[in-house]
Amino acid sequence: PRRTAAKGLRHGGCPSRCHCEADGARLRVDCSDLGLTALPANLSVFTSYLDLSMNSLAPLTAGALAEFRFLEELRLAGNGLTHIPEGAFSGLGGLKVLMLQNNQLQRVPCEALQNLRNLQSFRLDANHIHSAPPGCFHGLVSLRHLWLDDNALTEVPVQALAELSSLQAMTLALNKIRHIPDHAFANLSSLVVLHLHNNKIHSLGEKCFDGLRSLETLDLNYNSLLDFPFAIKALTNLKELSFHSNNIRSIPEKAFTGNPSLQMILFYDNPIKFVGKSAFQHLPELRMLSLNRASEITEFPDLTGTTSLESLTITRARLSSLPGTLCDHLTKLQVLDLSYNIIQDLPSFSSCRKIQKIDLHHNEILEVRAGTFQGLMELRSLDLSWNRVRSVEPHAFADLPLLSKLDLSSNALSSLPTAGLGGLTHLKLSGNGDLRELMSAEDFPKLRVMEMPYAFQCCAFVACERSAKLWDTEESSGRELQSRRDADIAHVLNRPEEDYSLEDLLLELEENPKSKQSVQCSPAPGPFRPCHHL
Amino acid sequence: KALIKVTPLRQEPTGKPITLEGVFAGVRGQAEGRLMQSHPLSLCNTSEDERQDSVFISIVKLESPERQVPQCLSLLEKARLAVKRGAKAVIFDVTDDAGAAVELREALLASGDYLLVVLVQAKDAEVLMGLVNRNEEATVRIEVMVEPPRWPHYD
Amino acid sequence: EVPPSCTRGCELCSEYNGCLKCMPKLFILLERNDIRQIGVCLASCPVGYFGVRNPDMNKCNKCRIENCEDCFSRNFCTKCKEGLYAHKGRCYPSCPDGFSLTNGTTECTS
Repeated sequence: PRRTAAKGLRHGGCPSRCHCEADGARLRVDCSDLGLTALPANLSVFTSYLDLSMNSLAPLTAGALAEFRFLEELRLAGNGLTHIPEGAFSGLGGLKVLMLQNNQLQRVPCEALQNLRNLQSFRLDANHIHSAPPGCFHGLVSLRHLWLDDNALTEVPVQALAELSSLQAMTLALNKIRHIPDHAFANLSSLVVLHLHNNKIHSLGEKCFDGLRSLETLDLNYNSLLDFPFAIKALTNLKELSFHSNNIRSIPEKAFTGNPSLQMILFYDNPIKFVGKSAFQHLPELRMLSLNRASEITEFPDLTGTTSLESLTITRARLSSLPGTLCDHLTKLQVLDLSYNIIQDLPSFSSCRKIQKIDLHHNEILEVRAGTFQGLMELRSLDLSWNRVRSVEPHAFADLPLLSKLDLSSNALSSLPTAGLGGLTHLKLSGNGDLRELMSAEDFPKLRVMEMPYAFQCCAFVACERSAKLWDTEESSGRELQSRRDADIAHVLNRPEEDYSLEDLLLELEENPKSKQSVQCSPAPGPFRPCHHL
Repeated sequence: KALIKVTPLRQEPTGKPITLEGVFAGVRGQAEGRLMQSHPLSLCNTSEDERQDSVFISIVKLESPERQVPQCLSLLEKARLAVKRGAKAVIFDVTDDAGAAVELREALLASGDYLLVVLVQAKDAEVLMGLVNRNEEATVRIEVMVEPPRWPHYD
Repeated sequence: EVPPSCTRGCELCSEYNGCLKCMPKLFILLERNDIRQIGVCLASCPVGYFGVRNPDMNKCNKCRIENCEDCFSRNFCTKCKEGLYAHKGRCYPSCPDGFSLTNGTTECTS
């Protein structure tokens, strides 16, 4: 058990077994997790912070804390409290933080809250609260942060919340709310963050978010919404909106015109099939847009006015072509993923000057022209696998100084121009049956991983002959390493074995000529796919 | 195979290296850094384990599947996340989760990621996790163990 | 080697990882102590962390807002560092235009 510890106390002792710290003229007292069943005796009146969490306190009585006028933070989490009587907190006019989470409260203890005029943070999460009657929060004029998550609310306590005009952050997550009525948060003009995730919300009133003019973050994840949340049009200051893991099937035209400040929209894990072409227009702060499996999308979205995208993903849709002006709005784009579509012809990406990664695999692209990827000074990874590329123009990859990963596997290539590919560390060409030409190792000095159509094409990269001699000298060091390891482990795990000096072994290893920078080339040549005939 | 040279820092000033063995799950290569434990749940994108300043190598003790530890990400994604947070390499102790070795190898092969992932188990893992449990700072150097060839015998 | 004893409130304990799963309603904090990182179970997250409740796990996440000491969520600060002023969950050296300090507090209001 924790010894009574008291640092620099001048105002009364520290309750037995508690931990106390001076806080200027006040006292911070931690009596958490001591198995207490009642308020500890010998509590100083100058206590400003009192933690009684994780005990087994009997229900508080009226006036039990009345003498602690300096109390600013009271923690009563995890005490199994079932109710809190009127007057339990009387005398605590200076209280700023009240923590009642993880108890057994069935309803908000309204009567006990009436005079807490300075309360700013109120935790009621992880109880069994199913209602908060009108007027419940009447006295809490300074409340800023309210936790009501992980309770049993079946509806938004609209009238109770209406009195909290100073509220700035609230979570009603992990409850059983099914519907948000119009004007549910009408008076919460200062609310900045609202979490409603993990409820059972299947419908929203068209005006349910009216009045939330300061809201910046709205979390509707893990609900049962069927329709797009049109009510967001009232949220003119919204910056982060997430409604992933719902049952929404479409995103309408001009979906976010009321939310010009949006920086992030998350809506994955929805069966979205249709997306209006103008849905993502005029979102100058939007950084990332990700659309997966929206199979009714046939046209590339109109991104007029959405000029800050850094990542754009539209996969498993039915895009067959891309607009020539694609990069006009995407000058800041870094990652583009248009895989799993039916794109045949590529525009020039040259204006996407910041782009680092392009995924176009699993499309129907026929050729790579010289101007397609020209001048992309930041491009590092290009994936064109699983297309129908028959030809690559000679200078298609000429000036891509940072390109390190190129995947052209599973296409219809018969040759590959190597101009500009000197910086590659990964090159994948397997699945191009007509590509039989030999690649020269000098063209790929930095290569580390290579996948070729035929094993003989790997011979230039894995030095078949020289390595045969090399292995003879290493044979012995392999056995010594094995015995060395056992000796070390025995030494560390205190099991007696003969010692062995590692330095000798290291020298032996160093002397061996380092084999070629090991390129992992597949399919690897072997006894039945020899390099000799080359 | 991977050669793992562990040099405890506090034991002796020079700290004679302990030589252990592991297996590369994907690409082979070299790396060096301070040994740092990552709790399996810290490698979830919701978790905010901060980027470390020092040069380090993560070690993750994988629990047995029967313990049903919440699997927020696949092992490959966990390795990617560790590297994204600055790890030079990731060591997985697969003593209690043999299936993890297969999962990691296949995933790394398919992804083509250049991630240095080493699997350890049994005595080798016991030494590494012992250092972690005793909070003994150590540097780890991973190297490629050069092995004798296994040419098939044919008449 | 004495395995780390898991804190009270742990439902699934590991010799090397500390707690893997806490009792319902409690938060798991992945505590970094030099090279070790073990799970501990808490009724509320320590200062500098905020609790995120989810059906399968409640977790303490580090508060990363600039100049902030304590958070309500990933992007809302409840307590700014000394000498800074809070406005809409962020911390500022002075109140933004059109806002001023509420008397006796460190908060900017219109």
